[in-house]
Amino acid sequence: MRTALRLTVAIVVLVLVGTLAGPGTAQGKHKVAFIYVGPVGDAGWTYQHDQARQYLEQTLGVETKFVESVPETAEVARVEEQFIRQGFTVIFATAFGYQNFNVQVAKKHPDVHIIGIGPAIGLAPNVKTIYGRIWEGRYLTGIVAGKMTKANTIGFVAAHPITTVVAGVNAFALGVWSVNPNAKIKVVWTRTWYDPPKEKSAAKALLDAGADIVGQHQDTPSALQAAAEANKLGIGSESNMQRFAPSAYLTGTIWDWRQIDAGIVQGLMSGLFKSEDYYGGLVDKVVSLGPFNPQVPPDVQALVDQRQKAIVAGTFQIFKGPLRDQSGKVRVAAGKTMTLAEILGFNWLLQGIEGQSPTAK
Amino acid sequence: MSRTVSDPLVRLQGIVKTFPGVVANAGIDLAIFPGEVLALLGENGAGKSTLMSILAGLYRPDEGTILFGGERVELRSPRDAIHRGVGMVHQHFRLVDSLTVAENILLGWREPRFLLDLRSSAAHVRRLADQYGLEVDPAARIWQLSVGERQRVEILKMLYRNARVLILDEPTAILTPQEVEQLFRAVRRIRNEERAVLFISHKLDEVRAIADRIVVLRAGRVVGQSSPQASPRDLAQMMVGHDIPVAPKRHLPPGAPVLEARGLDVHGDRGPLAVRGVSLQLRRGEILGIAGVAGNGQRELLEAIAGLRFPAGGSLSFNATDIASLTVRDRWVRGLAYIPEDRLGQGLVGAFTVTENAVLRDYDRPPISRGAIFNWTAAREKAETIVNAFHVHSASLQVSVRHLSGGNQQRLLFGREVLTAPVVLLAMHPTRGLDVEATTTVHRLLIDLSAAGTAILLVSESLDELLAVSDRIAVMHRGRIVGVHPTTEVSRAEIGLLMTGSAPS
Amino acid sequence: MAGAAPFPEWLEVVAIRGGAGMAALAVGAIFLAATGHDPWRAYREMMIGALGSPFAIEQTIIKAIPLMLTGLGVALAFTMGLWNIGAEGQLVAGALAASWLALTASLPTLVMLPGLILLGAAGGAAWAFIPAVLKTFVGVNEIISTLMLNYIALLWVDYMVFGSWADPTAFSFPYSRPFPPQAHFPVLLGDIHIGLVLALIAALLLAGLLQRTHWGYEIRTIGASLPAARYAGMRVRRNVLLVMAASGALAGLAGVGEVSGVIHRIQQGISPGYGFTAIIVAWVARLNPWAVILVAVLFAALLNGGFVIQTAGVPAAIAYMIQALVLFLVLASEHLLRRVRRRRALSQTRAALQVGR
Repeated sequence: MRTALRLTVAIVVLVLVGTLAGPGTAQGKHKVAFIYVGPVGDAGWTYQHDQARQYLEQTLGVETKFVESVPETAEVARVEEQFIRQGFTVIFATAFGYQNFNVQVAKKHPDVHIIGIGPAIGLAPNVKTIYGRIWEGRYLTGIVAGKMTKANTIGFVAAHPITTVVAGVNAFALGVWSVNPNAKIKVVWTRTWYDPPKEKSAAKALLDAGADIVGQHQDTPSALQAAAEANKLGIGSESNMQRFAPSAYLTGTIWDWRQIDAGIVQGLMSGLFKSEDYYGGLVDKVVSLGPFNPQVPPDVQALVDQRQKAIVAGTFQIFKGPLRDQSGKVRVAAGKTMTLAEILGFNWLLQGIEGQSPTAK
Repeated sequence: MSRTVSDPLVRLQGIVKTFPGVVANAGIDLAIFPGEVLALLGENGAGKSTLMSILAGLYRPDEGTILFGGERVELRSPRDAIHRGVGMVHQHFRLVDSLTVAENILLGWREPRFLLDLRSSAAHVRRLADQYGLEVDPAARIWQLSVGERQRVEILKMLYRNARVLILDEPTAILTPQEVEQLFRAVRRIRNEERAVLFISHKLDEVRAIADRIVVLRAGRVVGQSSPQASPRDLAQMMVGHDIPVAPKRHLPPGAPVLEARGLDVHGDRGPLAVRGVSLQLRRGEILGIAGVAGNGQRELLEAIAGLRFPAGGSLSFNATDIASLTVRDRWVRGLAYIPEDRLGQGLVGAFTVTENAVLRDYDRPPISRGAIFNWTAAREKAETIVNAFHVHSASLQVSVRHLSGGNQQRLLFGREVLTAPVVLLAMHPTRGLDVEATTTVHRLLIDLSAAGTAILLVSESLDELLAVSDRIAVMHRGRIVGVHPTTEVSRAEIGLLMTGSAPS
Repeated sequence: MAGAAPFPEWLEVVAIRGGAGMAALAVGAIFLAATGHDPWRAYREMMIGALGSPFAIEQTIIKAIPLMLTGLGVALAFTMGLWNIGAEGQLVAGALAASWLALTASLPTLVMLPGLILLGAAGGAAWAFIPAVLKTFVGVNEIISTLMLNYIALLWVDYMVFGSWADPTAFSFPYSRPFPPQAHFPVLLGDIHIGLVLALIAALLLAGLLQRTHWGYEIRTIGASLPAARYAGMRVRRNVLLVMAASGALAGLAGVGEVSGVIHRIQQGISPGYGFTAIIVAWVARLNPWAVILVAVLFAALLNGGFVIQTAGVPAAIAYMIQALVLFLVLASEHLLRRVRRRRALSQTRAALQVGR
């Protein structure tokens, strides 16, 4: 017993001495930290950011590190401070909810650059937000769904009723109706980004309600898998989800952060940084489409391709009046096009979409 | 007899076993020889059961050795013990109700190892039963059997496992006289096969009838050996350590009435009335005993008087004032003390220290508390007073009372309740579970208290107790008082008849 | 026996608890090594992240504040035998009540701060009062009702932050508007807010209440034996109501601390389960208020260290596993401690009664 005690004391002392005497890491090139809201896993939002991180390591040779499953609370400030203490100079904080803390931390460390996820709530000289016009991709997947549905009913599993998600649902509906004006669209809110069982049961509910295609804005392939199990079809989101349900996966939107992240880090290497609320889209491949299912006929693929080119070229606007909300009220007058700011203010669903309005409680 | 020349089957040397607050065995030597019935005699708490539990592998001794045929052995479990040939029949049977006798006997045994041949096993059980006169049907299920039959199953279980030392813990407590005779016959047959039977008891006549040798334990030590020819009085004295005092009876002139119930109706826990129209009068300085089979409304009556249960009808007056609407605390303040049946669950808080328990009644009034502040010094002083005045043996005031022996718990509870010389004391089964000495102490306390003027309502299941200390005895049956008699004018037989409800009241 | 006087009891307790922690780290090291990580480096990062710098200590204390307050609340309820597992919901209710004041009233700091504290405590108390009333008058088991009310409180936050409190600049993200500066808790040192003072005062009051007042005696008696409490004429129902409310008030204070002291707004996820961790904190602390304070700090260090260990390349899953291991072995060591205590009680008894040889 006495020996055990001595041993314990010795270990405690050693650990204390060891930790306190540890030297900081060597100064040098930029060290880039990533903070993820969920686990990296093998698909989804965080997975795509981790792809970008690996890309940075491979192409720019920078040292990177990440911390996963950090909630959108004061926790993120602790993690950022910790990274800064370890000599990291660039932090990609890859969830919208980190923004407030990004600004707080950035103000304390003017020599550190923090890149958050937009749309920006607030910025600082050393803070930037990045995001993409995801609705452009959703519109294209809507075309595919509208063409492929046989039941003429399409479901959509949506995460939180926040503006960017609402914009995506509306764009998806417009895509569907552009090729199939009579199709019904039903939306279910899960009010969670990441909850596989909940996403799956939402998808099942939609399938039970007659949908034969399920679109989604969720972080996991659960909705797709539900569709596959029911021998129905689905649309992916966030990352290429084809391999999780090859038979059901028609196509899907994909976030691709590799180029934009690399551009930011390269800029910093030459001392350049722009504090801004950056919006990418199909044009710079921040938003792109996944592979098509062989079931999708070539003419549909060609149509999607053509519409994509028009969007990139700026010759086609998705949100063009007249647009009415669920109550039938005209929200965008005929002939008018919604501005980015207006799209980012979306808190209403288009007339014809079945499902709870985002402002309903 | 042959035991002087043969070697002992088992020898226990210097066995010490301590539980928190209690030394159960304080260095016991004991040799057990083949072909003898050895009686272990002692009061409750003398250490008999602990010692036997050690021999049966249930407890491990703190110190001391166990020798089987000269070989030192450590018994880690009852399984170890039975493999060494020691089997114990406990007071509480360890049988599975839904299984048959044969299945219970085989349960947990090493043979058969894989395949259960119930038919041949049942035949074996039947042979054993015939051989020892322990009649029981191997195919019967346990729940169908009487208590006596279940005991036989337990004994057969040990014989099936070929026990060489059979321990019977208070085996006769639950048996009818006929069953006791049958048991004794079986015990003799087992003994005659050069096995040993250890017979634990505190009943002198039985011990004298069955034992070949008697070892007396007191306070965890062997205090003497005796042959069955010794007189009961000598054995008793060895057990208790001194002459058994006979409670002095005294007859004081009855005082003024201090507690009066009229037509009291009280609901039981399950709803229906447990007390029906009870009227009684308790006078200063008297002990009114309430006899009756448990569950005939005694508890509900006392709780209604104490204020823990509100009467559904009738009146209750205390010192000529109506107390029916007063809380338990108000009643205590006016001098109504109560020793409840559930000593450790209700009268005392097991997890609390002696000090904390000493102030359970007056924790929120001076001198224990002034304003909101609890005064530990005052509490300790009170605890010390009780401990000294009522001879509570405790290592310190900081010991949790659950670690005290039953007698010490009762003295502490008693002391707390009567320290302030209450007007009325309600006492329910105050000696249940106590040994002879502690029982005598409680009786003396009751008598002294009544001599000092306290009126006592005493509920007990023991007629001996009631006859020894009460001035009057009331009998409760099905919630009613069916007769109140001065102790000097009633016979044991009359009370017994009233208790069963068969006599006209 | 008497000559073998072992080292003092507190040392043995520290050695066993510390040993359990060490054992957990040792097992964790095996896992780390087996998955290709450097255990030494991982632990070093963990230590640094939790306690290795003024910043880390500050962050650990900030995280410990809600654990202290909820832990004290839970410990109080448990002492009386009330299974309040609704500290999470009571924390949130406190935060909601305080947020209401902060977001709707424009008051000077000197009025706002006491107002936030009082209202937060009242919010938590009210939330705990519901199950207390249900238990007292209808006999509803508080384990179920307190647990269920957690979800109601959390969904209420959703309702408010998506609705009338929503930050118009946050693109419908579940945030409220920021609190005005008057509604920010003053800080003591770095970012450590006055919630720490509230927690320490609460511990002082609670320890005093339980050990030095007759109300505390009542609470302990009711917790230890309900029949004995009734026998002694204690008013059990009244105490259930009071103690649940006090327990909820403490959790409510934790909620105020989070919204006014840390986040400066109310949003989803203001508590990563503090109210549930509080149950473990209270348990490990054996319901002793001062021990709750200490255990809360250790827990906060463990939780913060769990994130930091990831910066050594350890995946979150393994970090959580190490946290769970520490917890598991510390709780397991309680069993060992009980045996040690029992052994001591035995040897004291034997010494006192002078038996043996």
